[in-house]
Amino acid sequence: MNTIPMEYYLLISAFMFSVGVTGVLIRRNAIVVFMCIELMLNSANLALVTFSSFLGDPAGQVFVFFVMTVAAAEAAVGLAIIIAIFRNKLTVNIDEINIFKW
Amino acid sequence: MIELIYLTILLPLLGFVINGFFGKKIGNEKVIGLIGSSTVGISFVISLLALIETINLPVEQRTNVVELFTWMSVGSLNISFSYLVDQLSLVMALIVTGVGFLIHVYSIGYMHGDKGFYRFFAYMNLFIFAMMNLVLGDNFVVLFLGWEGVGLCSYLLIGYYYDQKFEKGTVAQAAKKAFIVNRIGDFGFLLGMFLIFETFNSLNFLEVFSQAKHLTGAESTFGFIALFLFIGATGKSAQIPLFVWLPDAMAGPTPVSALIHAATMVTAGVYMVARASIIFASAPVILAVVAVIGLLTAVFAATIGLVQTDIKKVLAYSTVSQLGYMFLAAGVGAFSAAIFHVMTHAFFKALLFLGAGSVIHSMHHQQDIMHYGGLKKYMPVTFLTFIIAAFAISGFPGLSGFFSKDEILWFSYANGNFVYWLLGALTAVLTAFYMFRLVSLTFFGEERFSHDKYHPHESPKVMTIPLIILAVLSVIGGWIGIPEVFSGEHGNVFHNWLAPIFLDAELKLAYYGAHSHTEELILMAISVSAALFSMYGAFKIYTQRREIAEKFALKFKKAYMVLLNKYYVDEFYEATVIQPIQKSSEKFLWKIADNKLIDGIVNGTAVVITSFSSVIKKMQTGVAQVYALIMMTGIAAILFWIILSL
Amino acid sequence: MINEILNSITFIYPELAVSIFLLIIVLVDLVFHKDKKYIPYISLAGLVITGILVLNQIGITHFAFVPQLSAVKKYGMMTIDPFGSYFKLLVVVTSILIIFFTIASEEVIDLKERLGEFHALIYGMILGMLVMISASDLILIYLSLELLSLSSYVLAGFLKLRERSSEASLKYVIYGSVSSGLMLFGISIIYGLTGSTNLYVINSLIQGPQINLFTLSFSSILMFVGIGYKISAAPFHFWTPDVYEGAPISITAYLSVASKAAGFALLIRFIQTGFTSFISEDGYWTLIAVFDWQALLIAISILTMTLGNFSALWQDNLKRMLAYSSIAHAGYILLGIAVLSNQGLIAVLIYFFVYMLMNIGAFYVVMLISNKTGSENIDDYDGLGAKAPFLGVALAIFLISLTGLPPTAGFIAKLYLFIALIDANMIVVAIIALLNTVVSLYYYVRVLKHMYLTKSEREQENITPSIGSLVYLLVLLIPILFFGIYFTPIVEFARSCVSLLGI
Repeated sequence: MNTIPMEYYLLISAFMFSVGVTGVLIRRNAIVVFMCIELMLNSANLALVTFSSFLGDPAGQVFVFFVMTVAAAEAAVGLAIIIAIFRNKLTVNIDEINIFKW
Repeated sequence: MIELIYLTILLPLLGFVINGFFGKKIGNEKVIGLIGSSTVGISFVISLLALIETINLPVEQRTNVVELFTWMSVGSLNISFSYLVDQLSLVMALIVTGVGFLIHVYSIGYMHGDKGFYRFFAYMNLFIFAMMNLVLGDNFVVLFLGWEGVGLCSYLLIGYYYDQKFEKGTVAQAAKKAFIVNRIGDFGFLLGMFLIFETFNSLNFLEVFSQAKHLTGAESTFGFIALFLFIGATGKSAQIPLFVWLPDAMAGPTPVSALIHAATMVTAGVYMVARASIIFASAPVILAVVAVIGLLTAVFAATIGLVQTDIKKVLAYSTVSQLGYMFLAAGVGAFSAAIFHVMTHAFFKALLFLGAGSVIHSMHHQQDIMHYGGLKKYMPVTFLTFIIAAFAISGFPGLSGFFSKDEILWFSYANGNFVYWLLGALTAVLTAFYMFRLVSLTFFGEERFSHDKYHPHESPKVMTIPLIILAVLSVIGGWIGIPEVFSGEHGNVFHNWLAPIFLDAELKLAYYGAHSHTEELILMAISVSAALFSMYGAFKIYTQRREIAEKFALKFKKAYMVLLNKYYVDEFYEATVIQPIQKSSEKFLWKIADNKLIDGIVNGTAVVITSFSSVIKKMQTGVAQVYALIMMTGIAAILFWIILSL
Repeated sequence: MINEILNSITFIYPELAVSIFLLIIVLVDLVFHKDKKYIPYISLAGLVITGILVLNQIGITHFAFVPQLSAVKKYGMMTIDPFGSYFKLLVVVTSILIIFFTIASEEVIDLKERLGEFHALIYGMILGMLVMISASDLILIYLSLELLSLSSYVLAGFLKLRERSSEASLKYVIYGSVSSGLMLFGISIIYGLTGSTNLYVINSLIQGPQINLFTLSFSSILMFVGIGYKISAAPFHFWTPDVYEGAPISITAYLSVASKAAGFALLIRFIQTGFTSFISEDGYWTLIAVFDWQALLIAISILTMTLGNFSALWQDNLKRMLAYSSIAHAGYILLGIAVLSNQGLIAVLIYFFVYMLMNIGAFYVVMLISNKTGSENIDDYDGLGAKAPFLGVALAIFLISLTGLPPTAGFIAKLYLFIALIDANMIVVAIIALLNTVVSLYYYVRVLKHMYLTKSEREQENITPSIGSLVYLLVLLIPILFFGIYFTPIVEFARSCVSLLGI
């Protein structure tokens, strides 16, 4: 198990985080944006688990469970809001949702 | 009762709130008048009980502080709403509430039928509230609040008949004049306060004064503080050069003139100088300035009073002159004599004004004494009380004015010099003259008014009873301050009572000049007989031989015109201060500084701000991803900065 | 272990009360699904009880939930201290005011059968805020922040049939999730660096020499983003105007006061317990040398107030204008933290109390007027001073207080802030803040100009507020005027609540 060095996990985590952030910034579809946010959360989860495992401290892994719950709740709320907006505007493209500006 | 002293302040406030907010709804004059005067009356009773309690205390415990709450505490500045109950503030509180109560009662009759009845009583109560803060406050800030408060009430009440004409202008202009001139004095007072805080790091009376007692050598600092405070006093107490507002203040209703512009508010400056006696005593040069200004004002105003024909104007200049007396007393270090004169003056001057009000009331607001004459048979009570007051202010032996005026004259000689005394005595002679000119022209001689138009009659009881009470006080009020030459060693009760307050100042001044009683008696005899002669002369001339006065006026036409026009002081100020300010305001401040410079800056800034704002607004595109992008950019910028700074 | 938990429960009575009432509201909502009009009163009752429990806690300083298994025993997951109690009290009072607010708000009255959910979600927010205020553990911080955020996302979009409300909600949820994602990533790095999630432990560990400063700074910044979005500090404030404009106005008022207060409490606790090495005799904090926190906070606060004020200048929608104004106020308050002294902290506490009164008041008047006119546009305020004299005067006082002019409490709040700044020799910053206040005067007075100087083109009937609204406004107005003149009580109270549980 410990044959893979910690850096590898962290690099993957950082990569996932970057993908998530980039996705949030450039994708138009609100659902994809939410998926990218999930990616950000999961990259943090990966980092937490890695640290927890290498530090031998269970707190990090407990934290991950909480984060997963929160992520689920966030996805639920997000999707519900997307449905509400789709009913009103018949679109989920973020750049078209801009009544409020300036 | 000392602990309850705050009630004397809160009750008038309550009266103000009730009459001010609900007066219009109440509508009933009796109820409004009852509320207005009873709040002041109860305050007077409480003050009286506090006085009795204080008298029963041993001398060293007579200074009590009643703390209500801490108002603010910012850094080293700690200001609390607390009240100082000591010998001096109790005397002042009794004058304010006592005379104030009588004038409130009188006003019920005088203001009867006025459409702004409730407004009048609300302002009067507010005035008493502010004045009580002024005399009872235990630090300069509360004093200043009261100081500004009475200024505001004075403005409101002078402008009470705001829609009427007054002399060349309007009542509103007279009110404005009072307000602005007072502002100049207040500015000086504020500077003094700042300097006190700078020097003593406190604004509390007891702290500042106990520090000042031990502080020696800083005479220039004391000089500046005292000078600034005195500038404040000249504004409020109508001394040269800021006295011009007081004669115009007569535009207000007569009870207002009696209460605010004769008995109480205008003596605030004297009170303040007496309160800060230790500071003034530490700056002997400024103290001399106080004496000289007081003396000059006294003579100056008395001469103007000789020729005025408006009954209230005569009394107004008389007030200015008497205030000058008080400052003369303070200036020669006789602070308790000054306060004594404040008290007796409050009695007889309030009485004179109320009597004048009674006359004006019955003569349908005719104020020119040339149109009076022979009124004594129509209004006996007013006549009798008025003449008592005239005797008192002229220093007729045995009456209150005699004792206080004589004390001032004596100290101006004993602590000052012969010139002070001579000019002071001259003022007394002039005072006696113009007072009896007023009395003769009003109450004696032929009737110079048409009976078709005027129906003089005695005023109702609600007005005459306060007159009678004040007349009694004008007679006996001086008996608590009988000089030692008559009452023996330590026989002057009033002086003994106030002595602890002024002990430090008097120690610092250290007048040890030994003067014999004989000297005092001789001087007194000279001044009194001169005044009596002057009274008799005035009475004779103006009742029987008015042509003498007219001839005299014709002979010295120039001098007469100067006096009649009040030495052209108003015109002088108009030419030297007001016009230049107006001209430069119009030519430079308005057309160039304001229109071009300030407007240019303001408009320029507005243009810059607007364009900046429209650029910023564009950042808010409404697209959530752009927001996220800006956030990321922000984070990147912060990280970049951190890398640079690490 | 069990003992510790049972013992700790005595310190979280307010949070427990909120949880219990949350359940009660959900149950009542389920059982009495016909008649929902009692629900606001149940939630009021719950808040009053919570308030009493919080009041009982004032003065107590204690750790709760101290882990028994780990090596470092003495630090708990939650901290009960006077500072936290002050903010909890603020949150509870704000919540009570907001419940009354909703009772008068037509938007909420129209919800009818969804009223139960509405109140349950408000309780969710309250629970999140209360926990967040006393959380001293990164896990708890994250969870409470999410609880608060999730509830407010839904509430912002609660008028789901309105396009504007849904849009506000979507923007909020995207922005919020991204920032909390960033924050979580930062937390994971801090955890990796120190091996602990407790702020106190982290504090003692990062004082050691072996910490990589850049990584630590990076993770702290990510943490700061999560908090900064909650307090709408620039450049993390962009969601604020849009969400505030689109959300139901009662929720806007709530977000602008309560959730911001909780965010500030968290920020202060994060900086003080996480990064302060010691507090000097005269109340100045010395921070651990990671990076220059003070410079960052000053820069961000100036940026925040400038952006907020300048963007507010030409807003025609009152709600949006007040949103920008609340951003600007966040900037002022952040300046109080940037002083890094107890003096500044006192200023923050005073400011929040006053801010609560005046901001809710301003929103309340806007709500009453939009109840009648159906609009928040500034043109609909023309001639309002004559048509609704009391509302006009009330709004004028609130706006003057928001500007910070005497004799209102807003002046006192700003006064103490500037005193703290000048005391710390931050004169230039104080001058910038003062200039900002001048700019803010413009847009506040613009409303007054419309109310009193512009004649309305349309005929409108007079607006007379109900007795309840009148009382509500008086309850807010009287303290604003009273504390503007006699402010010693709040200053003393704030001074007594300034201490955080020490490091």
